[in-house]
Amino acid sequence: MAHPAYRAIILTLCALVVGALASLAAIGLTDAVLWLNDRLLIAPRARVQYEDSGSMVAMATVLVPAAGGLIVALILRYLSRARRPLGPPDVIEAVQFERPMPPLRDGVASTLAAMVSLGFGASVGQYGPMVYLGAMLGGTVRRLALAVPNLPAIAVACGVAAAISTAFNAPIAGLVFAHEVVLRHYSTQAFAPTTVAAATGYVFANVIFERPALFLLQFDGVRHGHEFVLFAVLGLLCAVLAILFMRLILRIASHAATSPIPALLRPMVAGLAVGITALWLPDVLGIGKEALRFATIEGAFGAGELAILVLAKLVLTALCIGFGFVGGVFSPALLIGILFGALFWTALDASALLATSGVAVYAICGMMALTSPVIGAPLTTILIVFELTRNYDITIAAMVAVVFSNLISHRFFGRSLFDVQMARRGADLSAGRERARLQALPVTGCLTRGMVLASTAEPIGAVRARLAASDWNEAYIRDDAGRFAGVLRAADAGGAADWDSALHQPALTFDDSTTVLEAMQALRGFVGDAIPVVERDSGRLIGVVSEAAVIEAYLDMSQTLRREENAVL
Amino acid sequence: MRCFELALLFCLLGAGAGGAQEPLTVVSWGGAYERAQRAAVFAPFTRATGIPVRVARYDGDRATLKRRAATEGWDVIDMLEPAAISACEAGLLRRLDYGAILDDPRAARADFAPARLRPCSLPQNVFATVMAYDDRAFPGVKPTEIADFFDVAQFPGKRAIRKSPDDILEWALLAEGVPPAQVYDLLSTDRGLRLALRKLDALRGHIVWWEGAGEAAEMLQDGRAVMASGYNGRFFAAQQEGAQLSIVWDGRLIGYDVWAIPASTGQPRAAERFLRFAARPEVMARLAERIPYGPARQSALERIGLMPGKGIPMRDHLPNAPQHGPRFLISDSLWHSHTSYLRQRRFHDWLQAGQDGKGG
Repeated sequence: MAHPAYRAIILTLCALVVGALASLAAIGLTDAVLWLNDRLLIAPRARVQYEDSGSMVAMATVLVPAAGGLIVALILRYLSRARRPLGPPDVIEAVQFERPMPPLRDGVASTLAAMVSLGFGASVGQYGPMVYLGAMLGGTVRRLALAVPNLPAIAVACGVAAAISTAFNAPIAGLVFAHEVVLRHYSTQAFAPTTVAAATGYVFANVIFERPALFLLQFDGVRHGHEFVLFAVLGLLCAVLAILFMRLILRIASHAATSPIPALLRPMVAGLAVGITALWLPDVLGIGKEALRFATIEGAFGAGELAILVLAKLVLTALCIGFGFVGGVFSPALLIGILFGALFWTALDASALLATSGVAVYAICGMMALTSPVIGAPLTTILIVFELTRNYDITIAAMVAVVFSNLISHRFFGRSLFDVQMARRGADLSAGRERARLQALPVTGCLTRGMVLASTAEPIGAVRARLAASDWNEAYIRDDAGRFAGVLRAADAGGAADWDSALHQPALTFDDSTTVLEAMQALRGFVGDAIPVVERDSGRLIGVVSEAAVIEAYLDMSQTLRREENAVL
Repeated sequence: MRCFELALLFCLLGAGAGGAQEPLTVVSWGGAYERAQRAAVFAPFTRATGIPVRVARYDGDRATLKRRAATEGWDVIDMLEPAAISACEAGLLRRLDYGAILDDPRAARADFAPARLRPCSLPQNVFATVMAYDDRAFPGVKPTEIADFFDVAQFPGKRAIRKSPDDILEWALLAEGVPPAQVYDLLSTDRGLRLALRKLDALRGHIVWWEGAGEAAEMLQDGRAVMASGYNGRFFAAQQEGAQLSIVWDGRLIGYDVWAIPASTGQPRAAERFLRFAARPEVMARLAERIPYGPARQSALERIGLMPGKGIPMRDHLPNAPQHGPRFLISDSLWHSHTSYLRQRRFHDWLQAGQDGKGG
C-alpha cells in the first residue's frame, strides 16, 4: 500500500479539485436554470414585466413546459444510452456496491435534460441533478490509478458534499448528507476529504460568488411549551403526506411505462398539465421559491389556497417525474411541506384552541418533516434548517417534527424514496450495506477448483476410480449435452454399474443468479463437499462451490467493509 | 426666488463668456438638490465650455416629459432611472453615443458598475429613499427599522409618503420580514402585491401624501407628519438648516439618478458635451460634497472631501456608507419601468378602496 503521506496528499487534492468543480457546476446549473426561467417567462419577476403585453404570459405558461417536455424526451432518447434520468439512487448504488458511476455521456445528457426540465418550468427539483452532477465529477477519479483504497467512493462523496454545500450554502449539511445518504458509514478516511470538499463548496458559494443565504428568517423563539407536542403531531401528519407523495411517484412511474402514450410524448403531456394548472395556480411552475417565502408570512395564503396548492404540487410533481421529466424530489418536497406546515398552522390558528408562536416555525417544521423521509436524511434536514435560517430555536422545533416523521415513514414505507427505487431495481439496502453487498455478489464468483468432473459418456468404473483417487466424496456428472446430470458418491463405490441408477440428485444446487447471501442461508445444515452451480436456462454445469468458499467470500466482504468503515487514511 | 436669479446670472455669465452661445436647457428637480447641481456641475460647465445653462424643473412624470420637452426646448434631463428606461423604450429619448461621452467606454463601464450605462441614460448619482422621523415626536423609544414605519400603535402619528407605488410597496414587504434579495421576486406575483397593499392598509387614515421631492422634510418640520419617506439628500439638507429630524437607514432603497437627452433636443452636440463634463469623476465628487448623493462612478468616491463652508466629511452621509447597516435594497429600475402601469393600477384601486369613509 502507498505511503500515508502520499495518500493524504491524494485525498486532499482530490477533495479540493472535486469540491471546486462540483461547486462550480452547481452554480453553473443554478444560473443556467435562472437564466432560462427569466427568458422563458417562468420566473414571476420576468412574467410581471409582460403582464400588459396581451396573452403572451398565458401562452408561455401553457407552451413552455410542454416544449420543455419534448426537448427532454429528445435529449434522453438520442443523447443518453441509458435513456432514463440519472439521480441520487444511481449515486448511492455506485458507492454502496463499489461500481463505477454510469457513463459520463449519460450523466451529461441527464444533467442537460434536468437543466431543460427546470428551466422550462416543470414541477421538479434542482438538488437531485446537482447531487448527481457532483457525484459524476467525483466519479471520474476512479479512472485514475491512484492506489488509494476506497478513493472512488470518497471522491463521489466529495462531489455530493460540495454540491449540497454550494446549493444550500450549507457546508455542514453537505458533509452530513454525503455520509448519511451516500456513504452510509463514518470513517476518518472519508470524513476528512468530504469536509474539505464541503468547505470548498462553501468558499466558492459564499466568498468567491457571494451567494446569499437561501432562507434567512426572523423568529424570536417558541413561546409555549405545548407547541412541541404540536410539532410532533405535524411531523406525524407530514409522514403520512410524504408516504402518499412517494407512493404516487412510484405508482405513476409504473403506470406510465404501460400507458398508451409513447415515451417521446410523455414529458410533454406532463408539461402541458403543469402549464394549464399554472394558468390558475402560477405557484406550481418551476421550483416555486416565491411560494416558499410566502408560506412563512401570516395571511399570504388562505386555508383553501394552501390545501389546493399542496394537492396540485403533489400530483404535478409525481406526474412530471413519472412521465419522464428529469429532476429531483427534494425541492418539491420542501415546497409541499412548507405549504402543509402553513396549512396546519392556519387550521390551528382558526380553531383558536391553542396559542402559537406564529406561522413561520410551523411552516419550517412542515417543510423539513416532509422532506426528511423523502430523502431519508433526518440529520441533514435538521442541519439544513440550522444553516438556512441560522436560527437555533427553529432548528430545535424542526428536529422534533423531523424525527417523528422519519420514524413513521421508515416503518411504513422505507428509508427513503431513493432506497425504495433502488430496491425495485434489485439493490435493496434496507437491511444494511453488508447484506446488500452479499446479495449483489453472485455465488459464481467463488467457484471451487479441482473437483472431479465427469460425463455420462465415460465408463462409470473409470470415474469411480478417479473419484477414489481424489480427496473428494462426490463426482459431478454431466450428460452428453453438457447438462448437469447428478452426483456420483464415493460412498456407494460398490453400487449400481449403470449411470441412471448410480446418479444421485444433490440435496442442494445453485444457479447463476444465486447470491452469496442466498448461498449462506441455504448452507445451514448442509453436509457435503460442495454444491453444484447450474446455469438456470440451459441446465449446463458451471462449476461447484464449497461451503468454505462461500464463507470465505462472506468474510472477505465483511473485512472490506470493516476496513473501509475504520480506515484512518 | 434666489435660485432663479442665480440661474439668470449664470445665463448672463455664460453669454458673456461664450459670446452668442445658445443656452443649454437642463431640467432638474429644484430645491437643495438643484442648488448643489448649480454649484458643482452647471456653473463649472459654463466656465469650461462657455455654454450657458438654463435650468427648468419638472416632476419626473412621463406625460410631462412628452408634453413639455419639445415645446420648451429641453436639452438635458435629470431623471430617475426607471423613468428614463420607459421614456427610452417609448422613443422619447435620444440614444447615447458613449464613444463621444466617455474617454474609454469599456473601462468606464467597469467604473460605473453596478450602475449600468443604458442605451439612453448615463448614471450620475446614487440616492436612497429613507425613512426619517421628527425627533420631537418620539423622545422616548425611537423608530429603528422599517417595520416601525407601519406600526402606528407604537409610533402614532401621520406618515408622509410619496403619492406613488414606487417605494412604499418594497417597504411593505421588507416590513413583513422579506429579505431584500427576494422583495422584487415576491412583488412580481399577484400575491405579493396583495400582501404589500394589505400592509399599507395598516396605515390607512395615517397618511399624508407628498408629490414634490422637498415636501417630505417640510412636512416633518411643520408637524404635518411625524415620520416620512423621502430622499436622503433632502433630509440631510433640512438637518443642515436646523430641522430636528433623524434618518433611519434600515431598509433604505437605493436608486440611480441619470442624465438623458430628449429626442427633441435642438443641440445634441452641446448636450453630449454636457454629459461628458458631468460624467467626470471630479465633477461627481463635487456634487457629493454638496448633497449626500453618492457618485455613480467608483473612481469618484475617493475624491469626495468635506462639504464646502461646513467642513462635514460627506462620505459618511452617502447612501452606501458602511455604517448605515446591512439591510438595503437596490431598486430594480428595469422592473420598475416595466411594471409601472400594473403598480399604478393597483395603487389607484387601493386609493379608491380607501375613499369610502376611511381616507387615504
